[in-house]
Amino acid sequence: MMNKIKYTMLLGGIALAILGTASCKKDYEAEPLENVTIDYVFDPLDSLGINAGRYLNGLYADMFPRDVSMNRISGNLLEAATDNAIPSNLEDNPAGRLLQGQYSAFDRIESDMVWGQLYENIRSATIFINNIDVVPLNDSKFEALPTGLTVKRTWKAEARFLRALAYFELLKRYGGIPLMGNDARSLDDQIELPRNSYSDCVDYIVSEMDAIRDSLLYYPVPNPSRNSHRATKGAAMALKVRVLLYAASPLFNGGNIDGANPVTGYTALDNNRWQRAADAAKEVIDLGTYALVDDVRKVFTEQYNSEILFFKQWSNNRDIENTNGPFGFGTQIGGQGQTSPTQELVDAFPMANGVPIDQSTTYDPNNPYVGRDPRFYETILYNGARWLGTNLQTYLGGQNRPGGSDLQTRTSYYMKKLMGDFEEAAQYSESQRDYILFRYTEVVLNYIEALNEAQGPVSEVLAQLKDLRRRAGVDAGDDGNFGLPTSANKATMRELIQNERRIELAFEEHRYWDIRRWKIAENKLNLPLHGMQILENGGQFTYSQEEVFQPRFTTAMYLYPIPDSEVLKNNNMEQNPGWN
Amino acid sequence: MRQKSNIKQVVSYIGMLLYIICLFQIENAKAQANQEQADTLSGYYKEIPLKTFVGARATLLNEQLNTTPANSYLPAMTGRLPGFYTKQNSGFRQTSTARNYESGIGGNVPMVGQGVPSENTEYSIALRRQIPVVIVDGVQRDIFSIDPDNIESITLLKDALSTIELGQRSSRGILLVTTKRPEMGKTNINFRAQLALQEPLPWPKPLEPYQFAYLLNEAMTNVGNQPVYSVDDFNAFRAGNDPYRYPNVNWYDEVFRSNAPMMRYNLSAKGGNSVSQYAIALNYTDQQGLFKEDPNVAYNTNSSLKRYVINTNVNINITPKFKLGLQMTGRIQDGNEPGIGTQNLLESVKKTPNGAYPVRNADASWASTNYFQTNVVALATHSGYRQDNMKDIMANINLNYDLNSLLSGLKARAMTNIAVQSLTGIVRQRSEPTYNMGITPAGDTVYNIMATASAQTNDFNTVFNARFWFTQLALDYDKSWSNNHLVATVQADQRRTLYNFDLPAVATNATTKLVYDYKEKYLAHAALNASGFNRYRPGYQYGLFYAFGLGWVASEEDFMKDNTSWINHLKLRGVFGKTGNGVDNAGYYDYRATFTASNGGIGSGAYSAGTSRSELRGFWENGFLPNIRTWEGAYKLNVGVDMSLFGGKIDFTGDVYYDQYYDLLQSRGKSIELIGISYPYENIGRSEVKGAEFNLAYRGGEGDFQYFIAPNLTIEQTKLSYFDEQRQRFPWQQMTGLPLGVRMGYIADGIIQNQQEAEEAASTIGYEVSPGDIRYRDLNGDGIINQFDRTAISTTKPLIYYGLNLGFSYKGLSFSALIQGVGNRDLYLDDRAIYGGFLGFGGFEQAYPAILDRWTPETAATATYPRLTIGNSHNYAESSFWIRSGNYVRLKNVQVAYSFSPQWMNKMRLSGLTVFANAMNLATWSAFDGQDPEVAIGSYPIQRVINFGLNLDL
Repeated sequence: MMNKIKYTMLLGGIALAILGTASCKKDYEAEPLENVTIDYVFDPLDSLGINAGRYLNGLYADMFPRDVSMNRISGNLLEAATDNAIPSNLEDNPAGRLLQGQYSAFDRIESDMVWGQLYENIRSATIFINNIDVVPLNDSKFEALPTGLTVKRTWKAEARFLRALAYFELLKRYGGIPLMGNDARSLDDQIELPRNSYSDCVDYIVSEMDAIRDSLLYYPVPNPSRNSHRATKGAAMALKVRVLLYAASPLFNGGNIDGANPVTGYTALDNNRWQRAADAAKEVIDLGTYALVDDVRKVFTEQYNSEILFFKQWSNNRDIENTNGPFGFGTQIGGQGQTSPTQELVDAFPMANGVPIDQSTTYDPNNPYVGRDPRFYETILYNGARWLGTNLQTYLGGQNRPGGSDLQTRTSYYMKKLMGDFEEAAQYSESQRDYILFRYTEVVLNYIEALNEAQGPVSEVLAQLKDLRRRAGVDAGDDGNFGLPTSANKATMRELIQNERRIELAFEEHRYWDIRRWKIAENKLNLPLHGMQILENGGQFTYSQEEVFQPRFTTAMYLYPIPDSEVLKNNNMEQNPGWN
Repeated sequence: MRQKSNIKQVVSYIGMLLYIICLFQIENAKAQANQEQADTLSGYYKEIPLKTFVGARATLLNEQLNTTPANSYLPAMTGRLPGFYTKQNSGFRQTSTARNYESGIGGNVPMVGQGVPSENTEYSIALRRQIPVVIVDGVQRDIFSIDPDNIESITLLKDALSTIELGQRSSRGILLVTTKRPEMGKTNINFRAQLALQEPLPWPKPLEPYQFAYLLNEAMTNVGNQPVYSVDDFNAFRAGNDPYRYPNVNWYDEVFRSNAPMMRYNLSAKGGNSVSQYAIALNYTDQQGLFKEDPNVAYNTNSSLKRYVINTNVNINITPKFKLGLQMTGRIQDGNEPGIGTQNLLESVKKTPNGAYPVRNADASWASTNYFQTNVVALATHSGYRQDNMKDIMANINLNYDLNSLLSGLKARAMTNIAVQSLTGIVRQRSEPTYNMGITPAGDTVYNIMATASAQTNDFNTVFNARFWFTQLALDYDKSWSNNHLVATVQADQRRTLYNFDLPAVATNATTKLVYDYKEKYLAHAALNASGFNRYRPGYQYGLFYAFGLGWVASEEDFMKDNTSWINHLKLRGVFGKTGNGVDNAGYYDYRATFTASNGGIGSGAYSAGTSRSELRGFWENGFLPNIRTWEGAYKLNVGVDMSLFGGKIDFTGDVYYDQYYDLLQSRGKSIELIGISYPYENIGRSEVKGAEFNLAYRGGEGDFQYFIAPNLTIEQTKLSYFDEQRQRFPWQQMTGLPLGVRMGYIADGIIQNQQEAEEAASTIGYEVSPGDIRYRDLNGDGIINQFDRTAISTTKPLIYYGLNLGFSYKGLSFSALIQGVGNRDLYLDDRAIYGGFLGFGGFEQAYPAILDRWTPETAATATYPRLTIGNSHNYAESSFWIRSGNYVRLKNVQVAYSFSPQWMNKMRLSGLTVFANAMNLATWSAFDGQDPEVAIGSYPIQRVINFGLNLDL
């Protein structure tokens, strides 16, 4: 009997002990406190706005392109999907597929056909814009700002700039896209939004830039060592210029691929759009703070020079040399030769006196790399060019084009632009690199293009062109015209400006969009692209051009397909023409 | 002189042997399939009486498990249990050495909600299409790494009623493992030693270098490029007399050995009196991998598994009314692999052409090329090693107290279990320099360095660290009156898991269960369960589940007893219930809208400031929109019949079931990206699984000769009933209504034979089809092959799998075999390295003989693969062209055993001695012979295992 009671008590005791530990002794919080909520990020008590500032950093970090590498199309430059270059590796790589139109709304090339990622950027920026007001930022606790600016105003304007930039990246790819306004939507909100018209989108971005330009820092920013990465007034104005230039271009202005469809472009031609673009560009030029850098190579390898309007932070690296440098220097030195510039690009460079090769008397097809525009030597590595202390051998069987199964040039050219000074170096070293999104040369080129379209080849156009050629080191010639024709009509001047843009901005992700907005891709990208075949015989070279790539371009490709799933899920989403 | 003595010795040995053989009186041995006709089944919390059982189950006993030579019990289950499907993915376990935290400036940052990595990295398993909850001795833990020798029984519980006590985990079915139980009786000591040889099954045979060169040139010319190899290259490869410049190395032969041993030792003791009983087992397993090693390397670079398990089970009857059960298990497991990692090594072996480079250059340095900068053999033997070390301790206490004095038939139960488990990894990785040998125009041999050496690392990572705690209290009430019998149970339990840095996960269950029978003839069960989990949004944490069952033991009816004496047992039974599937898919508090901070630096996600590029930290909205997510539900119906006929000669069990799953977690159909953030999982989907399972056993024989045949068969059909599918333009694109996991793609209509056909054929966008390309069916007739031409291309027939167990015994000799197979299964050949070849493009990777059957104008009539190309988005698009039958039949398991007679044993003072040999994967008949039907090329190969052992009872 005693035993029984004892064991009953024991059992009860164990049970109680178990229940005791299982019950509500609070060793842990009920929800993980390290996963902070919005009132921690936008803290109404923090006059320094530490976390809000970090959130803004997050917006910069997520800015397009997220993958900070020039070779962002799965190892290739976007330029390798234009008539300027082809990918050195064979078929079935994303750049090659872009060039051949091997994509659809279902099977997209995600590395450039960004969609959801940009809407993420838009959402994130909107959350910042909507919530920053609760943070009591105290300007006296920050480093001094130029007169008239406050920290909060500047921050908010930067977020609005980044949001508009994301919209522009969408706009140039797809045409009109849904504008999300100032709502960060939740699960129960209506999200089946239709696309806004192209014109609405342009107006929205322009009005945003006009609204914020005077709230931003301006060049040169105070304390560049901490602030050079921030969006400035110049950046906002340059974005406006680019938006207006694209909007004035034939693809959207008069050449709408879907006729009267307002989402794919303007429904009617209006030449005044060029003037708006020219005016916007002139405003940037008139700021007087930006200037062409004498040595163009320094633009890409020197931080925060006077040409840079806005950039994405990169690093001190040898990334471009490693990926695009010539093959044939062994793995210690590196150089994968990913990019093969085309003969078409090479031929676009005039002679040293600025005269195009087909009009030149000195151009020798049997010695084609002599006496060319200095920009040629800064842009292209060719057979015989100095590089890493040797003369490159890109003739068949040469050190830098040995044949066999290794990746190497397919055109006998390698890219040189964007790289550091390695002509006589023993090996590559790191360069200070930023991923430049807006630079002054582009603004100037935008300006003269728009001006020529709006007013014809007025003297201002010629003057700006001369400045560019002077900086490039082209011979001024006896007439001081740098080989430029003095009596060109609008169409000739257009050709000239387009060619100047091609060679000035080569490998900077402009050509891809330019041939689209000019609506010339259907011509340029249906012709075979060429390379040079160089044969060596006893130190003598013979040159013959050969077809190396057959691109394909259809009208539908002027705009990217919107993801099939987006059209499927959203009853109000209209697919771009030709992609259904 | 010496020779003479040798002969003498041999003669004496033979004499001894003959003498021993004469001594043996060969005795009857039980045929293996003679299942014990036990009255109860080990349940997960308490014993399950079988007479009143109305659910669906399948059981394997130790004798059926231990014929399979394997380090875990899963391989022994394949083909033996209806309703249980396995597919092997790898022939060896994967070591886990990756850390579970990120390092930042503020120290180590936890990665939350990672979950315990599974012990089972070799098999995909499914019980009626769900991954079953594993319960080992009452503990819900996914433990697979136990030697089959240590297991007394494995039971699958498949119906709603049998699993209802798990509440939010009740949908998935239960795989119940019971280790060896204490038994009253004289002390029995058992020793079992086994040695197995594992040899890899089908060995891929890569192309010879000259074939590779020829076919690569063909592929290059087909896409309009210059050929890579010259005629001289081809001839040099073919001649094969320049092993440095034109090597021919079969990397499989260089890296793998032809077989590897596995040793297992098991020592166990059992016994006890009426007060206390015990069962103790010590187990040691040493499984070695198939990689070759370099004798000059001081440490083990091979894949291997070493495991030590101690399992103690003690039952004590403290008083006649108070019983205590105590179990302690300790397990240490050490895995090893080459420093580069098994998967990376296998990848290199797979993709490096035979002619890429020699193993070593003429100067004995490691060889490589610009594209293949590492040397496969150097990776295998000179890349250091990785180890993962698991430590596991588990203690389990059961208390049973008879409360008869309080109320007749009342009993109380308490159970608590604590366990700690941790896995750590050591990475000691290094690399040796490789050189490319070249000959200069001047004729000098030069060695260009391709990959530099790196010193050995010494990284220690905590992979995970977990504490598990389970406690349960229950009252059982057992009452009989006249012919009625009622068992009522009330029970409450809590399972608490502390995993790494996560907040504790707490799952709580309360269950009431009633079991009623009338004369053990009419059976009625009912159960109600309330189940909660703390990681759901408050208000959505609890669920209510129920199940009931009815049974009729017809053979107990008088009219049956009288008229049909050949029917010994006949039971009809049915169960219906509502079950849940939560807890494991709850996520980590993601119903809250939260933000995550970064620790700075490009790469970790934040931004750098200004020209100084000083690191700035960032903050981001977390990946999901705030949401409501809770458990998934299911309605399950099972109807079955159990029969025993002709005095136990024939046993038959048949079940049909219909399970409807609802509230399945998925992203909503309108997950439109415009919202700018990922959509959460919500309770949306519905699916169905229905099927039939049969198990038959026939036993026969006369006198010393006994035999059995036991086939089983499962038919399984699934349906995706609802997943919020958005309007598809064409009906054939619709997936709703098709089986789960159906593959969508283009329908291939053979290979295009000539230019005219090529011009007529529809093409994928941006691609120009040529003769030799695959022709796809243009379902919507628009001349373009795109998403609108995609439709279901995999089979929609029900999956069938089966096993045939058979055996005999004659005196001390016994034999058993298992043949196992799968039908209506598809194999999708998506490995382009094998079925296309020449991947890489910056160099060209290995190709395999499959492509010898490629299309060329000459072989147009017989070609089974498309023309060779370099990269090709058209031919390798997802299509029915690449579907093959995945049906197969395997001779999965064979055992021959010989037990020595008891008389002789007595003389030797032994209780029993059995010698045996068994084997796994002895032979395979596969509908597609290009690869093993289960383990793909490039994974650690599946093995044929031949095992010898002895079993000694003292």
